Amino acid sequence: MRFEEELIELLPRLRRFARGLARDASDADDLCQAAIERALKSRDQWQQGTRLDSWMYRITRNLWIDERRAAGRRGVHSPIDDAVTQVAGDGAAEVEAGALRGDVDGAMARLPDEQREIVMLILVEGYAYREAAEILDVPIGTVTSRLARGRETLMFYLGEAA
Amino acid sequence: MSFDPETVAAFVDGELDDLTARRIERAAGTDAALAAEIVRHRALRAQLAEHFAPICDEPVPERLRSLLADGPKLDTSLADRRAARRSRFSTLHWGAIAASLVLGLTIGLRPWIPAADVQTDNGALIAAGSLARALETQLASNQSSDAAVRIGVSFEDKAGRYCRSFESPGLDGIGCREGDHWRLEQTLAGEGSGDYRQASSGELAAAAAAMMRRDALDARGERAARDAGWISRP
Repeated sequence: MRFEEELIELLPRLRRFARGLARDASDADDLCQAAIERALKSRDQWQQGTRLDSWMYRITRNLWIDERRAAGRRGVHSPIDDAVTQVAGDGAAEVEAGALRGDVDGAMARLPDEQREIVMLILVEGYAYREAAEILDVPIGTVTSRLARGRETLMFYLGEAA
Repeated sequence: MSFDPETVAAFVDGELDDLTARRIERAAGTDAALAAEIVRHRALRAQLAEHFAPICDEPVPERLRSLLADGPKLDTSLADRRAARRSRFSTLHWGAIAASLVLGLTIGLRPWIPAADVQTDNGALIAAGSLARALETQLASNQSSDAAVRIGVSFEDKAGRYCRSFESPGLDGIGCREGDHWRLEQTLAGEGSGDYRQASSGELAAAAAAMMRRDALDARGERAARDAGWISRP
């Protein structure tokens, strides 16, 4: 199958992954667009026979991280960083958790970036731990510990409604 | 509970070796806390999958597609996918038919299957939630490769009902349309290793073959039946 065709087949999933990262639908499509343009430009770096999806996810995620860092330097307000989770038995958090029951977007927004990307890759996109580690270029132990923390936070906020 | 939380999570994520996975499955049969923990993890996965799945069904915006599409080419891949699907279900393990019918009766539901996807109605198992939605609307011909519920084969059974085989993280089986719901006729626990899942899809295909009145629906027939609301023809 041609490179472009494979990419087209990937687009629905890639948009989902991007939505999980960027959260806003049009930001997510902007991210996808940038990723496709990058992929077309650097297609020589993709080796036939290796997985195109992992390669695309890696490009998408790296572009997103670059953008987050650039936004941070520009001092753009970042709601995610403000919402670093406080899980341990704090009354306000309990109340907030009650309000968030069933609100997956709200709960995901409370995860730090590095946990959210792992939750997306493993729990939503269905990658194995090792594949996620390769996409993110981190050790597998980092994947499992971030996944465990992300899960704990999500279960806390989504509660029994999960 | 005899397993640490990371092991339970790894079990639900399909990351354990077969031996450990089987040990957990066995232990969950008698350890209520462990079974509850598995349910909790499965429920989270199911909730996330269900929440994000609709994005894959959205039409891809033209501005993205146009970056890649410069001629007619989707036909080939669609044909490839159809061919792949046909071959998947054409090699039926006939010898497994009898066995699968017994399995359907004996394995049944496991306690840690997410409750949201299955309900009981007068003793019959009925699909609910994302499973019901998948049976109702999802087409085998264009489901994404990682859909939470995968539709296998769709067909009319000997009673004239439309039935569809499915695989999902908690449960595999065959659902048959009755009135306005999907009654689950065959169920197998849908978790475990890749080997186990392959075995179970062979059994499902065989069970489906045994129920069919005529050949399974092709992609066009499947779409037509769905668009007509799965109302069986007399």
